[in-house]
Amino acid sequence: MKINFTKEENSFRQEVRSWLEENVPRKPLLSLDTQEGFEQHREWERTLNKGNWSMVTWPQEYGGRGLDLIQWLIFEEEYYRAEAPTRVNQNGVFLLGPTLMEFGTHEQKSKFLNAMAKGDHIWAQGWSEPGAGSDMAAIRTTAVLEGDHYKINGQKTWSSRATYADWTFGLFRTDLKSERHRGLSFILVPLDLPGITVRPIPQLDGEPGFAEIYFDDVEVLVDNLLGEDGEGWKIAMATAGFERGLMLRSPARFQQTAAKLLELYLEKQDHCSPMIQTKIVEAWAQSESYALSIYHTASKMLAGYSIGSESSLGKIFWSELDHMMHQTALKILGASAELSNESQDDAAKWIKGFMFSYAGPIYAGTNEIQKNIIAERLLGLPR
Amino acid sequence: MNFIFTDEQLQFKEAINSFLIDECSPKSIRDGWQAKKSFNSDRWHSLLKLGVLNSNLPEEDGGLGMDQVTLALMVEEMGYAGLPEPVAEQTFLVNDLLPFLPNKIRKEIEINYKAGAQYISVAHPLAPNPLFLNDSLGLLLFNEHECKFILKDNLDFEMISSNDPSRELYQINSINKSMSSSENFDVLNVAITSRGALMTAALLIGLAQKMIDLSSAYVVDRTQFGKPIGSFQAVKHMLADIAVAIEFAKPAVYRAAYSLSENNPKSALHCAHAKYMCSQAAELACKNSIQAHGAMGYTWEMDLHIYMRKAWSMMACWGNEDRQQDIIFKTLSSSNEELGVMYTF
Repeated sequence: MKINFTKEENSFRQEVRSWLEENVPRKPLLSLDTQEGFEQHREWERTLNKGNWSMVTWPQEYGGRGLDLIQWLIFEEEYYRAEAPTRVNQNGVFLLGPTLMEFGTHEQKSKFLNAMAKGDHIWAQGWSEPGAGSDMAAIRTTAVLEGDHYKINGQKTWSSRATYADWTFGLFRTDLKSERHRGLSFILVPLDLPGITVRPIPQLDGEPGFAEIYFDDVEVLVDNLLGEDGEGWKIAMATAGFERGLMLRSPARFQQTAAKLLELYLEKQDHCSPMIQTKIVEAWAQSESYALSIYHTASKMLAGYSIGSESSLGKIFWSELDHMMHQTALKILGASAELSNESQDDAAKWIKGFMFSYAGPIYAGTNEIQKNIIAERLLGLPR
Repeated sequence: MNFIFTDEQLQFKEAINSFLIDECSPKSIRDGWQAKKSFNSDRWHSLLKLGVLNSNLPEEDGGLGMDQVTLALMVEEMGYAGLPEPVAEQTFLVNDLLPFLPNKIRKEIEINYKAGAQYISVAHPLAPNPLFLNDSLGLLLFNEHECKFILKDNLDFEMISSNDPSRELYQINSINKSMSSSENFDVLNVAITSRGALMTAALLIGLAQKMIDLSSAYVVDRTQFGKPIGSFQAVKHMLADIAVAIEFAKPAVYRAAYSLSENNPKSALHCAHAKYMCSQAAELACKNSIQAHGAMGYTWEMDLHIYMRKAWSMMACWGNEDRQQDIIFKTLSSSNEELGVMYTF
């Protein structure tokens, strides 16, 4: 065990920092859930790609740098420190990317990863359906093989980023006689195909962060099947593992929030209750622990261990932490907590983050589902 | 950066684990309670023979020169077994503290003390009632501004009772002759409080792990409404919550241990962090474990309380959660530097 950064790691940090200092837009971008903001964020993905920063862990031939997970964590720390824009393509780079790396053919990797890195394909998720939320194995949208293509019919919902995205990935029932998690396949679908209708759903903040996708005799080439026909559930579980585990929410995000919260408290402490101190400590202690745990996990993965159901532990921890921190910020802000004009009020970003923190315990599998997974797979309790 | 245990570290952990499975069963702990002699001399001598008691002394002094991380891993196992002998809170603490002690006290101790064969009890405002003082060589006593060493014969003391029958506590009535020093006291005091926090944190993690293991086994076994109660989500979620708390407390212990080994200037903060996280995890483990056991959890017969009692004591000694919270808050509010994305390591 050696938990210090090496010289190489430190100089890598410096390299990331200088690049970000030069390139992060001075003026905050518009919300990525507006058409204009979405394109601004796509442009930022392109800028990242020009610096070779799209996803540092990918091999060079796919637009990455071939670096390890520790370096990715360092990159993320600098990214949040620099307050760089939200990754509009996080569904792609953090979720589909690692899945493609594990299950994709060479052609698929080369096509999709490069396009993802360049910001040409921004990805939406296509898991849930009206009748398949927490119970994802209840998926009913069908994809029937007809020659060189699948014909898709049905409906996906809560599809993050789908309003403006270029592609979606998800699970479809390819064996019509199958039930539950058998007979599902993992298919990548361009969102501009004939027969697709995207209906934006305004979220709690009023913006269309997710959408419904309707499929009406949509024809998708079989080349877009990831892995084997019928193997979709296994592949989706791997993606969900990445999502909950390491990639979706890097610790830097929460450490940065904890730091901002402390700053806010120190600024306003004369106007709020000293009881808030306990929450400030909790925010620091938990975000610190989350970071330690993720470095521990990343080190284990580098040594060849794979992570499974353990990822559920982290998802519960960070989502509850995020909510607690935003709730605390609002308490510190008192009556100004409701002010919502981000360009005028510093307080506004907290109420926005606060609302979004209610989504954390729901998306990527509700925390109740995660607790079932922990109890059944880690503690050995019966189903 | 390589936040992973070496094979050697894991071997020590496994070795002590298998020793304790054989030698420190719940039955043997209860036998000690029954006999009103929780300190088991046979077990103590086996630990001495195995080199465990001297493991954190330098090699030239007959120890293994063990690093703090390995030590913490072993202490975790001692917590898991509910080991009554005060290896972590007294022996390891004193071994580790020797280099920090004022010269004359250190010399006095070195003349009399054969680590392991004899032990020294410790009293500090954060853990004021020394353990197993009756058979010790003497007492290292801390107050607010100085440190004293007193040979046992120069002490007048009496036994008092702990809520954890595994802990034989004493109260000091008077001191006849002692050696005191306030030399370098602030550094010494931070050294002992940090180590006390770390040792109790590591014990708590082991204890919490034991409680969740006992509870998981119980809820699989116990049936109601025709099913194991562990199949009900309300029960599952209580135990899952403990698992989450343990998962994120553990790495704080390893980081704190590593910081001490490296003389990191932030080691006091890191030890406070470890104790804070572990106290919370252990508290939840107690609460949810007894609940998962139902009325059985409230009995003397069920083994759960062996570990729960020790956990309550370990939460209280060497700085409880609130005290660690104060340490953390003072550090955070005095300089922003300690917090944030680049200061984890």
